[in-house]
Amino acid sequence: MEPIVFGIGITALTGALATVAGSAEDTESNIGSQGDPNSQVQLAPQMGFLHRIFNKAVAGEPPAYGLWCCLGAGLAWAFMAMQINPVLAIVLGCVLATFVQGVYATTAYVGRTASLAKFGQPVYVDVLKSMTSVTMAHAFIAIFCTVTLCHLINAALGHPFPLPLLGLIWGIALGAAGSATGNPYYGKERQYQNQKFGAGVPISASGNIVRYAEAGERNSIDNGFFTHKIGGSASGICFGLIVFLELWRTVLFEQVSAGWGAIIVGILMILIFTVVDRYIEVWARKNYGPYTEAKEASS
Amino acid sequence: MSAVAAKPAAGGAMNPTAMGVGVVLTLILLGICWYVSPGLGLMTLIGVIIGGVLIGFGTHFVPVGGAPAAMGQAPGIATGVAMLAAGAGLAGLFGGAWAAEQGLVVAVVTGGIGGGLMMAITCMMVNFVYVFGMGIPSASGKVANDPITGDSQAEYKSQGTEGHGLPFVSFVGGVIGGILGGGGGTLIYIELLSLYEETLPSIMGVPAAQAAQVMPIAVSAAGIFAVGLFLVNAVLTAYNITGTIEGPHDPKFKRWPRAIVASAVASALCGLVAVLIVVPF
Repeated sequence: MEPIVFGIGITALTGALATVAGSAEDTESNIGSQGDPNSQVQLAPQMGFLHRIFNKAVAGEPPAYGLWCCLGAGLAWAFMAMQINPVLAIVLGCVLATFVQGVYATTAYVGRTASLAKFGQPVYVDVLKSMTSVTMAHAFIAIFCTVTLCHLINAALGHPFPLPLLGLIWGIALGAAGSATGNPYYGKERQYQNQKFGAGVPISASGNIVRYAEAGERNSIDNGFFTHKIGGSASGICFGLIVFLELWRTVLFEQVSAGWGAIIVGILMILIFTVVDRYIEVWARKNYGPYTEAKEASS
Repeated sequence: MSAVAAKPAAGGAMNPTAMGVGVVLTLILLGICWYVSPGLGLMTLIGVIIGGVLIGFGTHFVPVGGAPAAMGQAPGIATGVAMLAAGAGLAGLFGGAWAAEQGLVVAVVTGGIGGGLMMAITCMMVNFVYVFGMGIPSASGKVANDPITGDSQAEYKSQGTEGHGLPFVSFVGGVIGGILGGGGGTLIYIELLSLYEETLPSIMGVPAAQAAQVMPIAVSAAGIFAVGLFLVNAVLTAYNITGTIEGPHDPKFKRWPRAIVASAVASALCGLVAVLIVVPF
């Protein structure tokens, strides 16, 4: 009984860490303007809309976070092999990984913005100074939480993969969950706040992103402040659910019917999420209604 | 024939010559493996190829809209094909590796369910953000009616877009893609792990009684090769569908035979390297 209770406690802790990691990851990528919505930040000057938005699409979020979490986990693992206390080792590893993120963010901003010189987009040194440290702070939270949950999975729950490999796997999954859930909210709802609510952005409006705030020009910290309330929280819940439910079904039901217990519980959970998704879809169709008449749309 | 005179190839056209060359290349690579390591090595390579093909086929199901989806201009999940497929498949591989000691079938199915669960949660949260965060209902741009539910789509597309969100068929496609990817990745891992467990102790000169000492190396090497093979097959498929796809109802889905052959060749080559590192010459 005791190992199961211990396992459930660790599972709950990893779920909480994953929720914080997902939220911080999405907010970091929105402040840094990484991921798919960055296509508009890159496109805007080419359409004549100069802006002061940070622009650091180093890579897609999953490979970028795969690298940073793997780096943090690998360094933490090396420090632990040097007999350093795990807590200190994880913090040190994540700090070093965050510096690498900062280097990538700086070179990406300078390089990508310099490529827009022919369209008159300046490289703002004050943007670089004020935004980079904020993205690094959020990246540290995301990397630290992910590496810590990987260490718990490895050391407390006994997963066979070594820490750096777990860091790579969960880093990629973190980026995939965060970008899938958070990107539309930043890309549509924040960058195109001047477009109609409750409709996609018309393709003809591409590049015309919102560039002004209540006072002066909009900056990327405003974007992080806006998107973390729904996009960041949703990303956190998404990644938290993935980690928690994956571990929960394994810890509790792995020994039932020689492994088939965890499989059946997994299938049941997939069916529950399918029903919830269908409910959301039907709810939207009923409550929001169609944009045009059916006949007009099909003609 | 110059490049200018060449006929523009349609995206979905099959090239029988290229497919034939691909099949022959796969057979040659299998032949090389049979020559250097008949038995266990060959069986491992066959498992790796099946796993790679499952990943390549499964990636076609994953509804990915790329950058336009991030602005609500096209349906699908707003990220890259290879990245999302890798995220789901690796989450599956994580579960499958944990269940490795419970046998091949249980581990592969566990890995598949892990990938499917990751995609089910992600797809549900995508629709949650679209509906409750942005007030946008789901609509497909490729079909008039959802093939599963029969819901009409055209009137729910907002003006000037190709659709948005994840219609139910895309959700189901995402879950199927996650299941196939997670299962395929786990199959590759289990096959390589059993090969390394068998061969590494003798290569490294470890007595049979202390064979457990090489387990961490075997697990790490098999895990890294599984992750690498996953990315190879997911990226190949991303090229095949040119970046975005809505799911199994998308016309681009019909291009899957091409990706199967390409995945088989790529997996055979990478798998051969994974086998050769433990073959003594």
